[in-house]
Amino acid sequence: MIKKRLFSKSKVDAKSNGERYFVRLNFNERVQHMIFLICFIVLAITGFMLKLPEDIVQKFGSYSDIVFYYRGILHRIAGTIMILVSLYHVFYLLFTQAGRRWLMDMLPKFKDLTDMIGTMLYYLRVKKKHPEYDRFYYKQKLEYGALIAGATLMSITGLLLWTEEMWPKFLLDIATIVHGMEAILACLAIMVWHMYEVHLRPRKFPIDNLWLTGVIEEEEMREEFPLHYKKIMDDPELQKVYLVPEHEEKDASLRA
Amino acid sequence: MRFYGLLAVKSLVLAVIFVILQMASASAQTDLVTDTENCLFCHRYPNMGRYDKSGNKRIYYVNEKLFASSVHGKLKCKSCHAGLDQIPHTNVKKVDCSSSCHIKEPSTGKEFSHANMVDKFQASVHGAGTGGDKKDHPEDLPNCKYCHDNPMYRAPDGVWGQSNALINETLARCMGCHTTSHWAERFYSHFTHRMRKRRSQEEIVALCTSCHEDQEKMARHGIESIGTYKDTFHWIQVQYGVKDAPDCISCHIPVGYSAHDIRPRTDRISPINMDNRVKTCSNQGGVQSCHPGATTQFATGRVHAYGMKAQLLASQNQANFMEDEHISLVIERAEKDLTKSELFHYKVLKLVKLFYKILIAFVIGGMLVHQLLDYMASRRHLKSR
Repeated sequence: MIKKRLFSKSKVDAKSNGERYFVRLNFNERVQHMIFLICFIVLAITGFMLKLPEDIVQKFGSYSDIVFYYRGILHRIAGTIMILVSLYHVFYLLFTQAGRRWLMDMLPKFKDLTDMIGTMLYYLRVKKKHPEYDRFYYKQKLEYGALIAGATLMSITGLLLWTEEMWPKFLLDIATIVHGMEAILACLAIMVWHMYEVHLRPRKFPIDNLWLTGVIEEEEMREEFPLHYKKIMDDPELQKVYLVPEHEEKDASLRA
Repeated sequence: MRFYGLLAVKSLVLAVIFVILQMASASAQTDLVTDTENCLFCHRYPNMGRYDKSGNKRIYYVNEKLFASSVHGKLKCKSCHAGLDQIPHTNVKKVDCSSSCHIKEPSTGKEFSHANMVDKFQASVHGAGTGGDKKDHPEDLPNCKYCHDNPMYRAPDGVWGQSNALINETLARCMGCHTTSHWAERFYSHFTHRMRKRRSQEEIVALCTSCHEDQEKMARHGIESIGTYKDTFHWIQVQYGVKDAPDCISCHIPVGYSAHDIRPRTDRISPINMDNRVKTCSNQGGVQSCHPGATTQFATGRVHAYGMKAQLLASQNQANFMEDEHISLVIERAEKDLTKSELFHYKVLKLVKLFYKILIAFVIGGMLVHQLLDYMASRRHLKSR
């Protein structure tokens, strides 16, 4: 319901202008994102509680041991769910049509390198024209790759630490360092890279509703992902996947 | 200072006069303490005390009630304070906990003494050494009172532990036969003392680190300071007040070991000797069995993070440190203590950490620059439209 309202409030008003909507994240992907997001926040909070300075720990007072107990339980629950979502994502990539399309579009190509150089030159005002992006561009591919690497490392080291008695202490020491440093890296990356992208970027502020609605306007699509836009417009098959049918636009978020 | 000194002299003189006057009269007996030596005649006065030469305030007042409920409440003063024959007490000797105190120990009928513990202690890491094998810097070593700080003047409340209900119920049973309440309370206290943890985990850590965190003091004896314990998950649990969280003595004095008999880890009877590690980590038979499934691989690893010893041994320019006599002592010891594989582990861990530091700096730094450029370009683009 919330999603529907959010959608109708911001986008349907624009419908009178004859705007069309394009699917960026389908319902399945949005649910995956949502679960991962909640797990990430829970894991970050309960994990970094181990690094709190002494005087802040003391503020928990007589509840501190209970806090510590639930901290551990929550961290393990959220970790387990995150691992399961990640495994599901692998299944999704391999065994669903939308997933396979995602995987193919996400694979790094030579064009990403030229795009990156082109974008840098555009940023530095050397080039006048911005390179044309396909469905995913280099920044998103890097972020996605970092997420896969990070989630894999965190899962492995987390499971090692969970079953500590079975392993040599040296391996656990490495796991502790990797788990902690990777957590710092991941949280900083989310803050600097992802938060900027969806919150601070001009036109996106205060928040990009894409994570809830899954769709973007035609104008934005044409501007940000011109290559993908052209591909969709040239291919009726792709239009069935990415273009929200006009009669369903009101419920686009639910169907997409 | 001078004023107080005068006061002390005056009060001593007064005390002497009083003693002479009272010589013939009956000695002052009280209900709680059997003061056959008549020490309380003077020492019952709260103002009794003086400043010593180093400016420390010395209190000679003995609170009868507190003393009576202390562990030593049944002892005569001279049992511990030997040589109090003169007034003023100029020939008093330092209290020696290994002396016999004329109290008969009921199981053997012999005079009681802590000599057994003291002997063990002197042979342990904290002791001054035995026979000709004396340690340097004996002033750094803890004496009995350093850890056993307050059985003398603890308020009666503290003696009884936390649960008053438990005391009421069990003590009432004792007193069915042992009708003298004072005796029953003392015996109960004596017996249950061993069932309680006197200090919380944080207090234990504070006690041990009061010396072991002092880098200079530790270096004098060739050992490293122990700040690295505070990098462990054990300490985090202690900080959060988790029940049965492991403090220093959980591993260094586990079930079946004595605090007075702590040995170096190379000693076969040390709980942290590699041969005893599995038993120590699992702590089977203890109140808390910590790592019941501990394997040899798990238990023989490093618990504290690598500290100064590994750092010194791994560093290339040892020669610079060698000039310092104490540091060279630590290096000497580190060469004996740290195995090659441990040193390798230390280097690998350091490398992993360094790798991540560089990675984080580059990735996050790069991202920041990228996003800043993107922000400026987006603003430019929006304006131009």
